[in-house]
Amino acid sequence: MAKPKVSAVMKQGKLTPWLYLLPALIVMGFFIVYPMINTVSLSLKNKDGTASAATTCKEGEPCWGIFENYRYALTEELNTTTFETTWQSFWESSYGNTLKWIVFMVSGTVILGLLIAVLSDRVRYESLAKAIIFMPMAISFVGAGVIWKFIYDFGTSQVQIGLLNAIITGLGGKPISFLSTTTLNTFMLIFVGIWMWTGFCMTILSSALKAVPEELQEAARIDGANEFQIFFKIMMPIIMPTVVVVITTMVINVLKLFDIVYVMTGGNYNTEVIATRMYTEMYKNFQTGRGTAIAVVLILAIIPFIFMNIRRFMAQEAMR
Amino acid sequence: MRKNILLLISLLLVISVGLSACGGETEEVTEEVSEEVTEEVTNELGIDCMGAEAGDEVSILSQWSGTEEENLNAILAPLADACGIVFNLESTRDQALLDTRVQAGTPPDITFWNVTQLSQYEDLLVAMTDLGVNTDNYADYWKDIGTVNGKWLGLPVKADPKTLIWYSPANFEAAGYMVPTTWAELDALVEQMVADGYVPWSLGMESEDATGWTGTDFIQDILLVTQGPDYVSGIIDGSIPYNDPGVKEAYEIYGKWAMSETYTVGGAAGTVSIGFNDAILKVFSDPPEAMMVKQSGFAGGTITGTYADLVYGTDFDFFGVPEAQGLQGGSDWMMSFSDSAAVKALVAYLSSDVGGEKWAEVGFDLTPNMAGADAYTDAALLKKGQILSSATGFVPDIGDSIPSGFGSAEFTGITDYVNGGDLDAILDSLAEKQAEALE
Amino acid sequence: MKQNKINRILNKIPLHAITIFIMIIWIVPTLGLLITSFRPVSLINTTGWWTFLSTDQEDTTLFTIENYVDALVGYRGTRTYLQDCESGDQPVSLNCDLSDLLNPRGMGRAFVNSLLVTIPSTIIPILFAAFAGYAFAWLDFKGRYFLFAILVGLQVVPLQMTLVPILRVYAKLGMNGTFWGVWLFHTGFGMPYAIYLLRNYLGSLPKDLFESAYLDGASHWSAFWKLAIPLSTPAIASLAIFQFLWVWNDLLVALVFLGGTKPVMTYQISNMVSSLGAGWHILTAAAFLSMLLPMIIFFALQRFFVRGMLAGAVKG
Repeated sequence: MAKPKVSAVMKQGKLTPWLYLLPALIVMGFFIVYPMINTVSLSLKNKDGTASAATTCKEGEPCWGIFENYRYALTEELNTTTFETTWQSFWESSYGNTLKWIVFMVSGTVILGLLIAVLSDRVRYESLAKAIIFMPMAISFVGAGVIWKFIYDFGTSQVQIGLLNAIITGLGGKPISFLSTTTLNTFMLIFVGIWMWTGFCMTILSSALKAVPEELQEAARIDGANEFQIFFKIMMPIIMPTVVVVITTMVINVLKLFDIVYVMTGGNYNTEVIATRMYTEMYKNFQTGRGTAIAVVLILAIIPFIFMNIRRFMAQEAMR
Repeated sequence: MRKNILLLISLLLVISVGLSACGGETEEVTEEVSEEVTEEVTNELGIDCMGAEAGDEVSILSQWSGTEEENLNAILAPLADACGIVFNLESTRDQALLDTRVQAGTPPDITFWNVTQLSQYEDLLVAMTDLGVNTDNYADYWKDIGTVNGKWLGLPVKADPKTLIWYSPANFEAAGYMVPTTWAELDALVEQMVADGYVPWSLGMESEDATGWTGTDFIQDILLVTQGPDYVSGIIDGSIPYNDPGVKEAYEIYGKWAMSETYTVGGAAGTVSIGFNDAILKVFSDPPEAMMVKQSGFAGGTITGTYADLVYGTDFDFFGVPEAQGLQGGSDWMMSFSDSAAVKALVAYLSSDVGGEKWAEVGFDLTPNMAGADAYTDAALLKKGQILSSATGFVPDIGDSIPSGFGSAEFTGITDYVNGGDLDAILDSLAEKQAEALE
Repeated sequence: MKQNKINRILNKIPLHAITIFIMIIWIVPTLGLLITSFRPVSLINTTGWWTFLSTDQEDTTLFTIENYVDALVGYRGTRTYLQDCESGDQPVSLNCDLSDLLNPRGMGRAFVNSLLVTIPSTIIPILFAAFAGYAFAWLDFKGRYFLFAILVGLQVVPLQMTLVPILRVYAKLGMNGTFWGVWLFHTGFGMPYAIYLLRNYLGSLPKDLFESAYLDGASHWSAFWKLAIPLSTPAIASLAIFQFLWVWNDLLVALVFLGGTKPVMTYQISNMVSSLGAGWHILTAAAFLSMLLPMIIFFALQRFFVRGMLAGAVKG
């Protein structure tokens, strides 16, 4: 794909771009690149970082030499005896859970964020609506953990202090233990995630929507288009770059997501995701090699996604 | 307009930088003031400052916050007044913070943490014997637990026996129950309660990422009854594998109670999702949801925290798990990365008679320091203290003592078991983990 | 005409219905926390918060502001601050007068510290990212796409991985426990996302704007300050809100690089609760106090999300 050239009108010195980039490059180089290199090198060593990972191989079991920690990271949670057990264990593993999180939380937050951005634009209480949707983001995870305790709490027959179970028992049912029922619990956690992050998507999408020139919409209305057509045929194409940015960012956020799962279930009852697994290996099992290997797997998992994004950028640039 | 905003932002930036610089200065000023003041205070209690000078700082990292931090402050106050040492307390429950500080080469001077950390940081800790500790005030079994490879690395400062069962004497009396003195009597009492229509146990073990610890505590207490403390020590040092039949039997005894609605509040789902604090409260609510809860000493504080009018002795009390040979308990250990004079003063103080008595007086759980055995002001603590001092053995928690994440695996294991998992598979994988952790 | 009016009203009903429905679902959990923060502790543990208008228990008030008072002064005893002051046995560090508002254990001092950490940590990254974003969008140089891809990819490095190596270097440089240490860390860590967002926004500005500026003799520097920055206020405002929030609510980074001796609000909040979970009724009040400033900032920056920023800026 040919790289589009910036218009020849805008002259610049040879050094200029590097001067603009310098502060950013220095800061990121030190705070992100250096630790990342450190992380990769630790992932090739044993749990104390004192010897190569190849020394941790056990006899009689498969071994990947210096990549032994990666073997652990990728296969430990899977039961590979038959196809069925592999499939089953995948969905219960941290990888399966993370996949569920990505699919449901990203679509949930983006769609809801877009919906609110569009709806609130047309009502008079716009500020209030946006503030309410945004508020969960302002609450730290400590506060959020306490809040949702009051919703999901599992009491017993006599007393309920959790709202959902109070409603269920009020309607005559038995209380459900939301956070310890496998599969259901992951979705309850995802809902908390959506509750917290929709405000993020809404803010960015709202600012993009507002940048769409009013004249275009008016012209379409005069031509007889209804609101749905205006939205899907005119506004969506214009804000599509921003939508892509939001989706990418949310995928990255979900992949790094740690606090919600950690605070609410600690990764128990099959709610483990990649980030909590990394934390467990590092700070509970004191296995530095394995923890860093999981971190590297996480990083590698995102790269194709970033790649896709950049190609979109280049396509978009070509149209400028 | 735009210019004004830019101006505002630059102003904010400059002010922040300036203020943060000034913040440093004011701290120095207050230090000087406290120096002058403390020089006037006389050292009435005969505390040995071990060469520490007024103004010396000791950085402390612990897991204690809230009311616990107040207790620690009260205990350290005499030392701070006598020698002018400044204690900089930080607290967190996040293991990641302690590990990060240690690995980066900037550990706190002292940390109050768990027994596993003694082995984890073995190479970096300074031995207690090099810090002026008073060895006479500690029973041998404490020194054994705190010794790694021949060096006494951890000073036990706080103990909380777990082998206790809490109940309401008022409810027992009303129903005509007696406190059981043998395990058989306990079993019979449980069946009697069920026959009378009560729920005997409140076994909730939810505790965020440590969910399961009340269960593993109970298992360990059952082992103390059925097998004895040497068996438990055997599990800790690895000579007895975790999937030994004795352990399986203990799990099955526990499981019979924990997974059934007749025996415990909410059955299996209740055990797994009711918080451990809520579980304690269920025995003392009005009307009570259960008759007994097996829990450590801190339960007393939980009860009075919510039901302020309940009186110890009449409304709530405890008895030791019958026929338990030895005591299981949680313990907090002080370990030091530094050998400064101020640290030596702290070690000397805490292990001295004065320190032991102060700890007991403040009532921050039990102190292993024998000098404090009679100084408790709280009746419940006094009773627990007596149980502790008459104990033939003290066994630390299995999960706290086996390094490398065995503890968390144990929690997850028992939670899975109560949730319907296969016991043999769980015990086998735990035995593997145990072997791996101890090699 | 009348048909049109009725149509418009009918069209509006589903709009309002859906919006209000979503608003209710969103606010209920937070409402639960707010109500709980005003209830006395004996009611919190035993009854649901939606029963806040009545109670069966005698000898207890329905509402109380004691949780807030306790949070403000950093009370850590077993009853409440006001009760202790009345009976005279307050903890050593409290004086039972107005000076308690500045208690190092309370929220007052922590508020100032949080501000000192958050404001520069928000301003500096935005500045650096604006420069870099402009460079990627409107300057031509070799490898701009490759470099950009790498920079965006750096977003994925997990936070915990960066702590130990950086702390080690800080310790050697003596930057341990300083504010500069935290500011620079947040700057570095916030850059990838900031550059991504700003570059995208700057890149979507119409080419003609810049071209006409250059034709009029402007340099990149003046185009940057006079055109790019003012026009990207919605993006900068979004970024400011998110970076502010992230730093304001952060606990781990502040603890690692600044330490507990200069407590920020999140640290104080986490310290309200003992390791066994006692005292979390104070937490509810503290969490709310901590939320006030970010919400104010959110409202203040709303004015930048204004319709038609570019209206009339483009010719024809």
